[in-house]
Amino acid sequence: MLIRTLPAWDTAQPWVTLLARLALAGVLGYAGLSKVTAPVVSVQAVEAYELLPPELARVVGYTLPAFEIALAVLLLLGLATRYVGALTAVLMVVFTAGIVSAWARGLSIDCGCFGSGGQVPPGEADYVTPLLRDLGFVLLAGIVMIWPRSPLSADQAFGLYPAQSPTDRFASESTNGDDDEQGVATRRPGSAEG
Amino acid sequence: MSKASPRAARDRLKAEQQRQRRRNQQLKLVAIIGAAVLIVVLVAGGGYLYSIQDEGEDFTGDLAPQVLQEDGSVVMAQEDAQAPVVEVYADFQCPACADFEDVNAGTLQQLAAEGEAIVHLRTVSIFASQDATAGANSLRAAAAARAAADHDRFVEYSELLWEHQPSNNSVGYVPEDLIAWGEDVGIDAPEFAERVHSESELIERYYDDSVDVDLGGSYVEEVLEATASVNERYPAGSADAFTGTPTVYVNGERLGNEMYSSRGLRGAVEDADPGSTDTQPWSAEATEDHPPDPDEEPEDDDAADDTETD
Repeated sequence: MLIRTLPAWDTAQPWVTLLARLALAGVLGYAGLSKVTAPVVSVQAVEAYELLPPELARVVGYTLPAFEIALAVLLLLGLATRYVGALTAVLMVVFTAGIVSAWARGLSIDCGCFGSGGQVPPGEADYVTPLLRDLGFVLLAGIVMIWPRSPLSADQAFGLYPAQSPTDRFASESTNGDDDEQGVATRRPGSAEG
Repeated sequence: MSKASPRAARDRLKAEQQRQRRRNQQLKLVAIIGAAVLIVVLVAGGGYLYSIQDEGEDFTGDLAPQVLQEDGSVVMAQEDAQAPVVEVYADFQCPACADFEDVNAGTLQQLAAEGEAIVHLRTVSIFASQDATAGANSLRAAAAARAAADHDRFVEYSELLWEHQPSNNSVGYVPEDLIAWGEDVGIDAPEFAERVHSESELIERYYDDSVDVDLGGSYVEEVLEATASVNERYPAGSADAFTGTPTVYVNGERLGNEMYSSRGLRGAVEDADPGSTDTQPWSAEATEDHPPDPDEEPEDDDAADDTETD
């Protein structure tokens, strides 16, 4: 990846990731908190998609808000950043798919992203806004997943993604071909054997 | 000039150190991922348990008296209760309303029975103007519930309606069922069944574009008027605007999503001052073992109230 070898990107990347982390934490935290206070609304929002049987919709509706809050907390802490980023990306892709599916089936629903949800009068459903929003979140989550190294993170405090100056980093990559951070986290073939 | 073997040993050592370092990193990563998974499981599981607990409990005690109002709504409260007024606007066809009832019907009944709230149950029909199938379901249920109110069984009857809510695109709340549910809650007066039938026929004609229909004096008309009047009471644009069902007002102040939580609803009621309803009980003649005559021909337009005078 060419971009990784650019010194400017090496300097900016941890801060870009930090911003992406915090932005996602804010969005997920807000989304979770707005729903967790009214579990039934959350279940309604899930039911409105008409994709899950009622029992499952109830479980998802009850669990999802807290799950979003958990992801937000982890992003805020910067713990297991890469994997939380990946999970967030998957979640956002699932949301996107749900909205596309509702749109394609001609349902008239609120996306239920932030605490409302359920049916809306025909013609008043807005699918474009939540879709664009979700795509933006997928992008942010992708950044966090691909470049998990960021300041103010638990990962860094535990020495998972050590802070390196760009030159160190460049040097270690050119000699080892693989520094600790990338070596472990990308799970290259052969690196997993003890 | 160093010999080959020490250099090989150094290399081995270096390789060993590197392996060790990698292994440590891997263990660290496993521990970190483990911690993250633990946090997710604990928080999500906690959220699930919290939500489960928030489902209000059924109320099994004696219901507070239910008093039919002039506009066809029902006030469930202890006599002379000094308590906040909780207005509940609901459409029997609206899925969110059924969810609300599922969570909070018991809470409302309990608050009313304990004199903690004056519960004002106001049936509306949002669906009436939207779709013939769902609209007819909604109106049939509303009219039947109104007929049940003539027999002081509105609250019990509503519960059965919520329980049997049909989907929006299938015909439900059919007269046979509506009458059977009436019997289930102890309404066996023939007037009830007759009323359900006459209102259902009216609704059929109401959705038949080729027929002009006179709704005068019917319960259908009553619920349509109630639906129109709520928009006047809480006009669009105002802070407490009525935007759909279900909507709950405590002393005229609209509740947010906390209405869907038994904790939230209870909290809102506890924080409010005593209030009074904006409707009057159905005229004395009508309530004294002389319910409005269901057989009455719906011809006397606005004179529904007057016809009850002896």
